[in-house]
Amino acid sequence: MSLKKTDEMDHNAWLKKQDLTAIETAFLTTLIWVDKRLRIVDYLELLETMYYRANLQMPKSHTEQYDLDNKFWYWYPLYSLGSLSIIAYLVAAVSGAMLGFYYSPSTAGAAAQGDPTAAYDSVVLILKDVQFGFMLRSIHSWAAQFMVAAVFLHMLRVYFTGAYKEPREVNWILGVVLIGLTLFFGFSGYVLPWKQLSFWAAQIGVEMALATPIVGEWAAQLLFGGFTLGQATLVRMYILHVFVLPFVVTSLIALHVGIVWVQGIAEPH
Amino acid sequence: MTDDNEPMTDGGTDEEARADGGPPATVPPDDETPTWSERKEHSQGLAQLTYQYFERSRREDEDLRAESTYVERDVLGFPAWPHETIRNLAITSFFVGMLIFIAALMPPHFGHPANPGSTPAIILPDWYLYWSFGLLKLNPLNPELAVLDGKILLGNEFLGIIAHGIVFGAIALVPFLNKGSARRPVEEPFWAAVGMTGVVLSLTLAALAIQNFFPFGLDLLITLTFLLPVLCGIITYAVLKTMREGYMYDLNRRYYMLRPPK
Repeated sequence: MSLKKTDEMDHNAWLKKQDLTAIETAFLTTLIWVDKRLRIVDYLELLETMYYRANLQMPKSHTEQYDLDNKFWYWYPLYSLGSLSIIAYLVAAVSGAMLGFYYSPSTAGAAAQGDPTAAYDSVVLILKDVQFGFMLRSIHSWAAQFMVAAVFLHMLRVYFTGAYKEPREVNWILGVVLIGLTLFFGFSGYVLPWKQLSFWAAQIGVEMALATPIVGEWAAQLLFGGFTLGQATLVRMYILHVFVLPFVVTSLIALHVGIVWVQGIAEPH
Repeated sequence: MTDDNEPMTDGGTDEEARADGGPPATVPPDDETPTWSERKEHSQGLAQLTYQYFERSRREDEDLRAESTYVERDVLGFPAWPHETIRNLAITSFFVGMLIFIAALMPPHFGHPANPGSTPAIILPDWYLYWSFGLLKLNPLNPELAVLDGKILLGNEFLGIIAHGIVFGAIALVPFLNKGSARRPVEEPFWAAVGMTGVVLSLTLAALAIQNFFPFGLDLLITLTFLLPVLCGIITYAVLKTMREGYMYDLNRRYYMLRPPK
């Protein structure tokens, strides 16, 4: 059932045959490892050729190279999950930017325990007074749910079609990192309205961080701004949610898609 | 492919004129372009090693192309315009439309303001973190993990964190454990069964997170949390093995119909 590779060049034997220093061996091993996965030889060659002004020709796109269309059109819904999660991410970004005009990350204004804070009030303002605000929050929330769902299903598709195999391990690990960041994105957004469940979800987060030995207290300081929840927690979650995570996740998604572009889609055969 | 090098009317060869990305990925270098060995001679040390490796890498590609039985067609790509564009637009519009429709139909609930003084009876994250919350509720297992004097080895919260580490670590390790070129679940029933075990485990862990909703005892729920996934994995394995036998049976039957045994 499986196709056995027989026509592979044995680069490692060639490496052993040569009399190389440790640095050279390490360099070549890394080079071979990376080149096996990303075929940088093609791209470096292209650059070299541009440099020598000999000729310039586009490489084949991955659809051309792998002749994808007549092979997997009936699997297309499963193969579009990755781009669906990106679409949901874009919807969440746009609606989130508009929500950001009205939201204020502050716990001020509560006279007694359990009174609405400024953050809570600003969400109430969005819900009640802002034109289209109720719908906007609903769209933002559902876009997040859709994104997480699409990302989970995307991972299952990649797993069950074996698309994570040999040259694509790096992208799989990148995907695992992206799933973790997506979940943290959702968590930090859940905290922002500073409602009862937000507070206690953050409380569980702090307790989890504090239970970790060695780095726990440091992580609690960094992410939650202290060991008890308050203004610092809310601002940190806000900055993570609207500044740090968008940059990190967007660039990692770009890298993820870029690697897929370079390596081609691994269709089942 | 022998007649590819016959000169055409304009003096070029078919090989050069090919624009559909056939075997030579680039136009062959002319006289003024230094060859790879010439470029290599100018350098030394690591750069030279790089070129030596790339030389082999290129030769490997050429060998593979020469050996391959792949037949070229005139048009290889699916046109980006209009086919792919319309398909993507359709998918995107449908998806965003569904999103807005559901957002209008089921707006999320907005609860009471935070009160550090009173813990709510039920604390739950969003549905996608239920599995994670379930991992934090594994503390009834903690005494069973103790080895010496019945002392608990880890704090209850730390057990949950370790469980998270194990889950993420196991997922990240998959491509390094499962090698080879098999792509379909039927080709590797074991790994498909592992996958199904993981999927069902995430569902049962989510059930563990909302344990108050189940009318039976916690012991039974925790047992089921780990039993059901394994059971599901075994069933998956059995089904896929059977499917594989079925494929092999069909293949063998066709073979023996063509070549009956003497």
